[in-house]
Amino acid sequence: MQARGEARLAWLLIAPALGSVVVIALFPLAWAIRESFHLHDLRAPWLGQPWIGLANYAEAAADARLWLALAHTVGFAAVSVALELALGLLLALALHRAIAARGPVRTLALIPWALPTVVAALLWRFLFDGPTDWLADPLRAWIPIVLADVWKTTPFVMLLLLAGLQTIDESLYEAARIDGASDWQQFCHVTLPLLRPALLVALIFRTLDALRVFDLIYALTGGGPGTATEPISLYAFNVLLQNLRFGYGSAIAVIVFLVTFGLALLYVRTVGAGLLEEES
Amino acid sequence: MAVAKLAVAVALVCLILGCGSGRDDEIVVSFPGSALGAEGELLAQQLERFMAEHPGIRVERRATPDASDQRHQLYVQWLNAGVGDPDILQLDVIWTAEFAAAGWILSLDRFDPDTADLLPGPLAASRYRGRLYALPWFVDVGLLYWRTDLLEGPPSSFADLGGVVAQAAGRAGLPYAFVWQGARYEGLVTVFLEFLGGHGGRILDERGAVRVDSEAAVRALSLMKQSIEDGWAPKAVLGWQEEQVRFAFQNGKAVLMRNWPYAYPLMERGADSKVAGRFAVAPMPATSSGEPTAALGGSLLAINARSEHPEAAWAVIDYLTRPAQMLDRAVQVGQYPPRRSLYQEGSGLQGRLAIPLAAIGQVIERARARPVTPIYSELSGLLQIRLHEALTGQRDPAEALSLAAREMRELLARKDLGPEPEVMDDAG
Repeated sequence: MQARGEARLAWLLIAPALGSVVVIALFPLAWAIRESFHLHDLRAPWLGQPWIGLANYAEAAADARLWLALAHTVGFAAVSVALELALGLLLALALHRAIAARGPVRTLALIPWALPTVVAALLWRFLFDGPTDWLADPLRAWIPIVLADVWKTTPFVMLLLLAGLQTIDESLYEAARIDGASDWQQFCHVTLPLLRPALLVALIFRTLDALRVFDLIYALTGGGPGTATEPISLYAFNVLLQNLRFGYGSAIAVIVFLVTFGLALLYVRTVGAGLLEEES
Repeated sequence: MAVAKLAVAVALVCLILGCGSGRDDEIVVSFPGSALGAEGELLAQQLERFMAEHPGIRVERRATPDASDQRHQLYVQWLNAGVGDPDILQLDVIWTAEFAAAGWILSLDRFDPDTADLLPGPLAASRYRGRLYALPWFVDVGLLYWRTDLLEGPPSSFADLGGVVAQAAGRAGLPYAFVWQGARYEGLVTVFLEFLGGHGGRILDERGAVRVDSEAAVRALSLMKQSIEDGWAPKAVLGWQEEQVRFAFQNGKAVLMRNWPYAYPLMERGADSKVAGRFAVAPMPATSSGEPTAALGGSLLAINARSEHPEAAWAVIDYLTRPAQMLDRAVQVGQYPPRRSLYQEGSGLQGRLAIPLAAIGQVIERARARPVTPIYSELSGLLQIRLHEALTGQRDPAEALSLAAREMRELLARKDLGPEPEVMDDAG
């Protein structure tokens, strides 16, 4: 009886949180899924809004621009996140060792991260637009994009990793040194394994952010030349808010949701496993 | 009868809303349009004068975003929701077909407007399937700016671009011969339209069939591409919109520039202009199979189909499009009138515009509306991508255009807008 009462109280207490999740997250998601099975084109109201089953998904499957945009997004995420993690780790290690001026340096390093993305994007655009014609080149246009993203978010990764480094017990390094371990061995066998949770957190945050990249590319290249740097979120924006094709746009949004959700699930499992390992 | 109905409707609305103004014999119409700076002040004055002339009607202005894309989004939301509130709409010249096909705006034929004096381009942009849905308010046209100190006259053919013009640039040590808007946006389509018209091609024909893969189109796009490859135009134009292009020309870096009329007073009077007094405007060149073409921009006025007071809304539109009001607009804010009579010698505009009347008049006369189709912006979006791919060397022009044509045909078919359909139900 007591247990049941407590369970009821528990449900009551989490009800507001649950309710807001339903209203804010689940309802719009359900609505988007519903829309994705309809033809709903605000620019062609004479077509009505009939149920068209999987036609939007069939169109998506055959839409070369969509798949290209997905490939761009995944490629961008892989390259920029790898660079950010590597650089962030280097910077964190350096800053961890540095005794003097750690505070000011840490603050200064955060400036790019605090800058609004659109401002940063315009800054990088002016750096490259004029001195080079890279923005008109389908491959080289990626260089300023990746550079801008790395410049902007490496400090964030660095900060996360620095926090991770500071939790590692100094005595472990002493023990390793007594055992005759070299610096490299210490890094591989002490630092890296203990930094793993922080690394994974940084990886998850950055990957999910990178997969949603929008404002940076919108302001830097607008997805061009042609559609050579168009990420999936920009294409979805174009379909939904410019062409006002709510049905097809929702289908794209659902596809993006599934991809991101799948990845998040994968990461959560990995992190979960990682954390459990640490504890046992 | 209509008046009686109107009076009843007004009375009802006033009863329901309580009509805050206190005058229950007054009809209120709303007009959300661009209202920034001098343009906003002028409109306020014009509406004051209108209300003095029509004591029974009050016009309420609403603030809207000035960027036309954003105003479009807002209008679509309102109209799609079926509200009658914005009575008068300020349409961009490319929206008429979309709004008319959706049944969102009233055909103005019932008011029997006098269109004899209106220029053909703006009038074409106001029509859809044989009916008039809007009245032109002011127009914008693509102009070719040329340096009078470096050339003897404006280029008369496209061959001159790589010939006389490029040589003039070389002699004077200017880095570029010709600058134009080549970024992937609507401006690129307007530039293409001008090259295309000059080669005798078009994007859609009279029946609404896609013709953008014609031989003329391939020649036009190839020429644009060649101008970059041969260095007459910098590769940077592929990221340039109006302002970057103006800066290049204004800083004396190019012999020719394609731009809109707004640039003229800025370069003529601007303290930082290096070309003041050394440039003039002309129509774009053409080949023998085409004709000089200027892309048409500008604004039209239309009435919400759900408006409770279409007659009052019409009275406002009728007033704002009178020659005297257009003249004020041209003189005070430099927006060009769509009336032929105002460009004639001795009209009230003579000597009062930034651009010499005869020069702008001959271009405005040739202004060509962009394709009139309900899905213009989507078609343009597809075309922009393929044009930009060709210009940036990702595809060759013929391939890019045939791809664009195929996609545009598919899109039209998907929206039930294939070529030459029978009369469509535009009452809905």
